[in-house]
Amino acid sequence: MQTKEFKIKWGMVIDIDKCTGCGACMVGCQVENNIAPMTKKDPYNYVQALTTDRDDAANKLRTLTWLTVYELSNGKTFPEHEVAYLPRPCMQCGNPACVPVCPVIATDKNEEGGIVSQIYPRCIGCRYCMAACPYHARYFNWWDPLWPEGMDKGLCPNASPRPRGVVEKCSFCHSRYLKAKDKVRAEGGDPMNLPDGAYTTACADICPTKAITFGDLNNPEHKVHDLAKSKNAFRLLEKLGLAPQVYYMSEREWVRKQGDNYNGNGGHGAPATNHG
Amino acid sequence: MSVARRAFIQMSVGATVGILFTPTVWTALDDVSIWTQNWPWIPTLKYGETASVPTVSKMCESGCAVKVRTVAGTAFGTEGNVDNPLSGGGICPLCANGVQTMYSPNRIKAPMLAGKEISWDEARTVVAEKLAAAGSKVAVISGDQTGTINEVFSALLASKGSDAFYAMPCEMQAADKAWTGLMGGSGQVGYDLENADAVLLAGADALESWGPTVANLKAFAANKSGKFIFAGPVQTRTAAVTSKWVPVPTEGMAAFTLGICYYVMQAGKSVPAADFEQFKAMVMSGYTPAKVEAATGVKADVMADVAKTLLAANNPVVVPAGSVAGAAAAFALNLLLGGAMTVLPEFGKAVDGAMSRSDMLQKDILQGVDADVLFIYEANPMYALPEQIKAGFTVAFDSLNTETTAAADLVLPTPHSFERFEDLASPYGVAAASYSLGAPISKPTVNAMSAGDFVLGLADLGFETFEEVVDAKVAAIGADKDELVGGAAYVLEETPDMSGVTLAASVLGKAAVPVKGTGAVALAPYTLLNVGTANQATTPNAPCTISNNQLIGDSMVVMMASVTAKKLGVGVGSKVKLSGGSGDCEALVQIYEGVLPGVVAAPLGMGHTVGDEFSKGKGDNVYKILTVSSEAATGTSTWAGSTVNVAKI
Repeated sequence: MQTKEFKIKWGMVIDIDKCTGCGACMVGCQVENNIAPMTKKDPYNYVQALTTDRDDAANKLRTLTWLTVYELSNGKTFPEHEVAYLPRPCMQCGNPACVPVCPVIATDKNEEGGIVSQIYPRCIGCRYCMAACPYHARYFNWWDPLWPEGMDKGLCPNASPRPRGVVEKCSFCHSRYLKAKDKVRAEGGDPMNLPDGAYTTACADICPTKAITFGDLNNPEHKVHDLAKSKNAFRLLEKLGLAPQVYYMSEREWVRKQGDNYNGNGGHGAPATNHG
Repeated sequence: MSVARRAFIQMSVGATVGILFTPTVWTALDDVSIWTQNWPWIPTLKYGETASVPTVSKMCESGCAVKVRTVAGTAFGTEGNVDNPLSGGGICPLCANGVQTMYSPNRIKAPMLAGKEISWDEARTVVAEKLAAAGSKVAVISGDQTGTINEVFSALLASKGSDAFYAMPCEMQAADKAWTGLMGGSGQVGYDLENADAVLLAGADALESWGPTVANLKAFAANKSGKFIFAGPVQTRTAAVTSKWVPVPTEGMAAFTLGICYYVMQAGKSVPAADFEQFKAMVMSGYTPAKVEAATGVKADVMADVAKTLLAANNPVVVPAGSVAGAAAAFALNLLLGGAMTVLPEFGKAVDGAMSRSDMLQKDILQGVDADVLFIYEANPMYALPEQIKAGFTVAFDSLNTETTAAADLVLPTPHSFERFEDLASPYGVAAASYSLGAPISKPTVNAMSAGDFVLGLADLGFETFEEVVDAKVAAIGADKDELVGGAAYVLEETPDMSGVTLAASVLGKAAVPVKGTGAVALAPYTLLNVGTANQATTPNAPCTISNNQLIGDSMVVMMASVTAKKLGVGVGSKVKLSGGSGDCEALVQIYEGVLPGVVAAPLGMGHTVGDEFSKGKGDNVYKILTVSSEAATGTSTWAGSTVNVAKI
């Protein structure tokens, strides 16, 4: 399988040494992408007495968190213990595992910019893509989105709500890309050469330490271009060959090592050098 | 006519075949399957011009400078305000959900007297009568640390001959009691985290919940030195990014700080303070590294190492948290080091007769409030310290239903931060005095009234509306209202006179001695903004950001190191009861090696009994198990040194 290359390759470089795991990015993401708060009761369910409650945020297997902050531990006991936080959006892989398994081509990587698309009306909810994605970046709508009374007034115009039964994932706030291109076109600029910062994601915007840097990995004028090549940069599960467009960086070696722990200890799943 | 067996069979087969061939049944089944799965309610988006309107948000303790994003005039989200030094483009997780909270069904819809809806005129009449009868037995509890609304409330108290203004327990109060109370300073202490080249966070979880969190995070990211050291009992979110974590028990923080003073003075540092010699003698005899090590468990070479880092820096700073003694010790150390601690002047007052910020912080709410008429402004004391509050008639101003509004006699809905004039003057911890202002972005969605407007209608304080008060404040500061409303902050780089400050040697010597409760393990309560604060519960979109280290299902999670768990005979997932203070809490155990042995870390801000489904019944309320103890030497109350007993259930 070949990595799909584009002239523009939107990507992120996340500095783990600056992430405190505060969760502002996750909240900002949900607001931007109209991910409804998880509510137990459904006022539209007229046979509630006969049905079970919906899941609330306590059930982490049913929440929709396009961006999730994971806690990493160096595994040592007190006082050698160290902790780090790792925000995980969709990796927008160059060679995505989710795309070839989709039976209805509801997800594809074919647009300039290299963002893996997700077409909700086409999705049949088979969840093959979720099984295929090694980053657990895809989420299934187990329930219809439901905003508590009055809260649907404040929906973001950038993302249409999805019904239950479809899979969704981080889109790098795709409508912000469209808007940025429109704006540059209106100003007479080149939409194929957006200046650094003209298009950013909600999470990168809101992050108080600016741990998330967003831009075109192929454009030398964008900060991410050099950051992704810096000596402490790494990608998650790089050995799987999915070529993620999201990079991480950390000065802490144990953090970098955990980025590829699939092949940790050199044992199970070690590089396939001795295959026949 | 009789139906023969054969005719019956023929008819049955005919009917079956007929049904198989008619589409009616299948389309009906298809329709049923579609209609039973239909979206009962289809959310529609509003389209139109989008805009970002700068304002301030008061959901977190320090307040955030935000921009509210609107589409066709309707607010839908928040983003940071790059032009304001408090934000620099970022916001905290609470304020990130500000607009959703504004639309929440948990908003208080109208004034309520004993559970019945009344008009604003009736509310004013009721309060006026109660006030007239109360004489000077009137008190105010404010949950706002930075707003001019406090001037209005304190001026009302002054007009009644009362000085019973209470702040909710906060870091600013401990710092003020140390700085202006014990050390004779004036103004408000600040910390220049951006330009410091070595920062010791002595208990201050500055990159998660302490002080102006977003400004701290911005300063941390911009700081070139990268030398941040966090000292505290738990490896917090702050410690996840600092270059070093020094495990220090909460109650030992003041002694630990004095232990560092020992090395710093040994290196020849001094302060031209009147009691320097006395201070030096006190530290050199009472807080030698060996003695501090014996009292706190922190190794002498660890303290020496921290002192070395601070001494090697050109512009070091120490940031305290917790007790008054800890704050005083840190200020003394800062004076010795002569680094990036700043002192901010207070802005001019808008309302005659209003208290200064320092005066507002004098009363100790932990020692109890007793009044005939009690005003509670956007605070939730009935959640955090219910036993301390006694009042004949309670008036609660808030925009959301809380434990406090549920217990109040009269509930008056305030507009949300984004629906009113709201200002934010120098949140505690910022390096320079700053003032930010926001104008209403939308009309209140409920029958709310600005608390300022209501109070100004009760007494003649020289203003008709709160907007006039804000105008007067802006004029007193000498700022430009249009620029402020446009999103710029007014920043004053001026430092008050620091001469005459003492090191509080006589008090500190006694106050810094670690005092611990009698429970089996020490309790380290901590705050995460996405979990909530004493005054603000978690917000609609935040629950899925809360990790399994704080909440699993509806159960609170407490963290401890494996050695502590072994000692207590518990393991991951054990259900335990923590008893301390005046109550107990239920929790599940999580092993987290970033907790000092002998300490259990528990998240504050959960276990609400009133509110929306996102916070109500989620986890347990750790405030119940905090022990209020009196720091005898400083004459203040503290939660530091709380201990609990842990029983497996």
